[in-house]
Amino acid sequence: MVYTAVVLAAGEGMRLRPLTRNRPKPMLPAANRPILEYVLDALIEAGTEEIVMVVGYKHDRVQNHFGPTYRGVPITYARQEKQLGTGHALLQAREHVDEPMLVVNGDCLIESTLIEDVCATYDEGDGEPTLSVLAGPDARQYGAVVLRDGFVEEIIEKPTTDEYRLINAGIYAFDTDIFAAIDDTPRQEGELALTDTLAQELESGRVRGVETGGLWVDATYPWDLLTVAREVLAHDLTDEPEVEDGVWIDETARVHEDATLQPPVVVGPDCEVGPGAVVGPQTALGRNVTVGANATVINTVLDVDTRIDPGSTLLDTVTGQHVRFGPSTVVSGGPADVRVGNEIFEDERLGAVVADRVRADGNVSFAPGSLVGPGAHLHTGVTVDGQVRENTEVRR
Amino acid sequence: MCGIIGAVGRGEDTLDVLVHGLSKLEYRGYDSAGVALASDSIDVCKKAGELDELRGSLEGRSISGSVGIGHTRWSTHGPPTDANAHPHQDCSGDVAVVHNGIIENYQELRDELASAGHTFRSDTDTEVVPHLVEDELRGGADPEAAVRAAVQRIEGSYAVAVVIAGVEQIFAARNDSPLVLGISDDAYYLASDVPAFRDHTDRVVYMGDEEFVTLAPAGWSVTTLAGDPIDKDVETVDWDPEETGKSGYDHYMLKEIHEQPRSLRQCLSERVDELAGTVDIADLADLNPRGVQFVACGTSYHAALYGAELFRQAGIPAQAFLASEYTTSPPPIGDALVIGVTQSGETADTLSALREAKRRGARTLGVTNVVGSTVARECDHVFYIRAGPEIGVAATKTFASQLAALNLLALGMAGSDEARDVIGALRDLPGQVQEVLDDSGARAVAETYLESDAYFFIGRGLNFPVALEGALKMKEITYKHAEGFAAGELKHGPLALVTDHTPVFAVVTGDGEQARKTIGNVKEVEARDAPVIAVTDGKSDVERYADHVLRVPDTHPRTAAVLANVQLQLVSYHTAAQLGRSIDKPRNLAKSVTVE
Repeated sequence: MVYTAVVLAAGEGMRLRPLTRNRPKPMLPAANRPILEYVLDALIEAGTEEIVMVVGYKHDRVQNHFGPTYRGVPITYARQEKQLGTGHALLQAREHVDEPMLVVNGDCLIESTLIEDVCATYDEGDGEPTLSVLAGPDARQYGAVVLRDGFVEEIIEKPTTDEYRLINAGIYAFDTDIFAAIDDTPRQEGELALTDTLAQELESGRVRGVETGGLWVDATYPWDLLTVAREVLAHDLTDEPEVEDGVWIDETARVHEDATLQPPVVVGPDCEVGPGAVVGPQTALGRNVTVGANATVINTVLDVDTRIDPGSTLLDTVTGQHVRFGPSTVVSGGPADVRVGNEIFEDERLGAVVADRVRADGNVSFAPGSLVGPGAHLHTGVTVDGQVRENTEVRR
Repeated sequence: MCGIIGAVGRGEDTLDVLVHGLSKLEYRGYDSAGVALASDSIDVCKKAGELDELRGSLEGRSISGSVGIGHTRWSTHGPPTDANAHPHQDCSGDVAVVHNGIIENYQELRDELASAGHTFRSDTDTEVVPHLVEDELRGGADPEAAVRAAVQRIEGSYAVAVVIAGVEQIFAARNDSPLVLGISDDAYYLASDVPAFRDHTDRVVYMGDEEFVTLAPAGWSVTTLAGDPIDKDVETVDWDPEETGKSGYDHYMLKEIHEQPRSLRQCLSERVDELAGTVDIADLADLNPRGVQFVACGTSYHAALYGAELFRQAGIPAQAFLASEYTTSPPPIGDALVIGVTQSGETADTLSALREAKRRGARTLGVTNVVGSTVARECDHVFYIRAGPEIGVAATKTFASQLAALNLLALGMAGSDEARDVIGALRDLPGQVQEVLDDSGARAVAETYLESDAYFFIGRGLNFPVALEGALKMKEITYKHAEGFAAGELKHGPLALVTDHTPVFAVVTGDGEQARKTIGNVKEVEARDAPVIAVTDGKSDVERYADHVLRVPDTHPRTAAVLANVQLQLVSYHTAAQLGRSIDKPRNLAKSVTVE
């Protein structure tokens, strides 16, 4: 049995900008809790008794959220000053680990069954590196793996063809020899990827692989947080008590008796929902969110401290923390073509992505597929279409 | 102010349990430490200096026993030396004692014991206790009776614990100094504070004044000093022992500064209803005070100044008093409610002031962070700030939570025309503190002014206590000269101190009369070439006159003060860090001061 886990939580997750302005991807919300909480939940359910968390980009946010323990399991923090790949990240944990370990990505939501499968396979073996593989997700987005009789034959980073069925799920079990193996791996453009080390191990020895199943949800782009929330609600992974079928409300939240909650929906701690408001379906309210009277919020993720004033309508929206929408804000919802940099994503079901601390004064409308950078101030009556940069003032 | 610990029933682990417990009590004092273990004889080891000195001298020594007591000291009588470190022993070496508090009649006891032939080895007040016990034992008393008799002879404040050679028990008693018991299935503990044994048990018994406890492997019993049994409740503490770890930070202080969003959320949770425009402070809402007198010390006094201003804004006469002054020269109380603000709930000066108020018939309310603390038990009412344990000696998150809690009290007791706005601002506060933490330029400011002669802080109204607190933080952890002033007072004297080597931090929020007048004061110091650092929400034009700006989000004036304070906390922290100071354990200071 493997009791120690190293969690890699140092990377920003650049494709999730502008939501990562103040925190790394593992701290973005899956419904109304950070992705990383679900990862730690899965580890603890699988028997982990000690966690080493590798932190880097905006590490304060991870340390403050979890503190020295999570659910009674002690956490040691190791700092990766520069994000030079997953192998380099794991090396930062070296001085804190002296026995076999699990290694997981902190930014991908997983269930404990995936971890248990890797542990069981590792225990059957003779200390060979072990990884989990999964059928389903598009291998071109991740890394492909070819398995034969329980051993890995080939690892292909980001293949360009769709001939591969299995992906690397990013859950590993190693003994402490892995550190020396990373040391011996040549850097590629200054970076050390764990998969390069594994590919090298394939040449000199054996790497076990276990095909596993279960919830595995990764967010690549900001609007994927809507899908992630859906999965969390569908699998009943919320923390809050279920007061009726598909309606989860924290004990500390205040929901007016004349508000309507349409399942599935989760309302986090300290939230306030005013009279006449309609919240849900497919909606998650983070801690201390306010939804004013007669506001409508559907298929939307509102992160911590966000405030929606009366009479607003939000469809297919993702907000960052402490976003303030004045009265009669309208996000009319997808589908839309979303432009990110030079790429265009067609027909995404997205109303708007609104980053941390954006302020909309009132009567502001968002064209479908809008992206608003952190700290932007949208004055009364503005219509947003496309992208708004960080800290911009937008007047009519 | 010291910390004591004791353990019975841990066999060979006793020494480790004691040393670990002392490490959790170091915040109470750290100028010397020691332990005593009892078996057929007593083994004592004690050292001046921080706990590591004791650890060093324990290495390679075989010191054992199945019952033991330990102590970490903050000097009151006699300098920090090996001899003055606790535990103290009698002439025979068969009795060892640790003590927190001050024995007021120690001189007369010492004279009496010395003339009876006892030899004293230290300058401490504590040393009279083992000699008193020795006398009683020599007179034929059994061990428990001997300790009881000795305790009944001392006057003043004490939490005292005694072990005796050949007796597998600890005897302890308290009066005006904190003492709490830890109960587990096969072992018993006593300590000044719960973290000392929290890793071993979550079941605790809070001792009252003039209570005596006997801990033995077979069980524990609490009695009056005279020996009558007292029924005590065993309570369960719910916080996690590891909450006292540093979670990857170099210092507790920085960790606690960063914990402020979370501790503010805890303070406000289920107490505010923004949509209804109401706060819920339970039966405290019915107190209807006609006047309020705050008593407090240090950082809590600054919170009290802020709280008094909130009550005055609601039309209720309110004043804040330094607790140490209040006790000895109390003002007329009338029918005022007396509110004691103390993080630990054990601050001796504040407790005395509250007792004085109570003696004169006043109703009392304690605002504290520590459940079960003396202030919580002695006051008629208590309101918890719920900040979670604070280990850094310099108060940070508890100050922010005190300000939030005082807003709740003022709204709940006195109301406000703008209650809904204030509640909205309070609910925005955790996110705004996070914003300050994410974007603060305090570190660069600290580095720029590292070599300054002194630091001045000015503000008006609610920002005046922020100025005082900013200066106190700077003094405490950087050892630099720092002063806070009401901005208008500057020209009445302190301006003479202002030079181009004395940066002035001006806390200016809003753009009303107070802001305009403070900006006038900023111009006065600017004309003397002092660097100006404006801590501002950007509503006024103070930035035009400032060399540096530390921005806070635009919000209600009440919560703007909290945000401005966070910037000043960070300036002090980074200044101290650059100077290499002992940030979590500044020289000469202790976390909660349980002596007057």
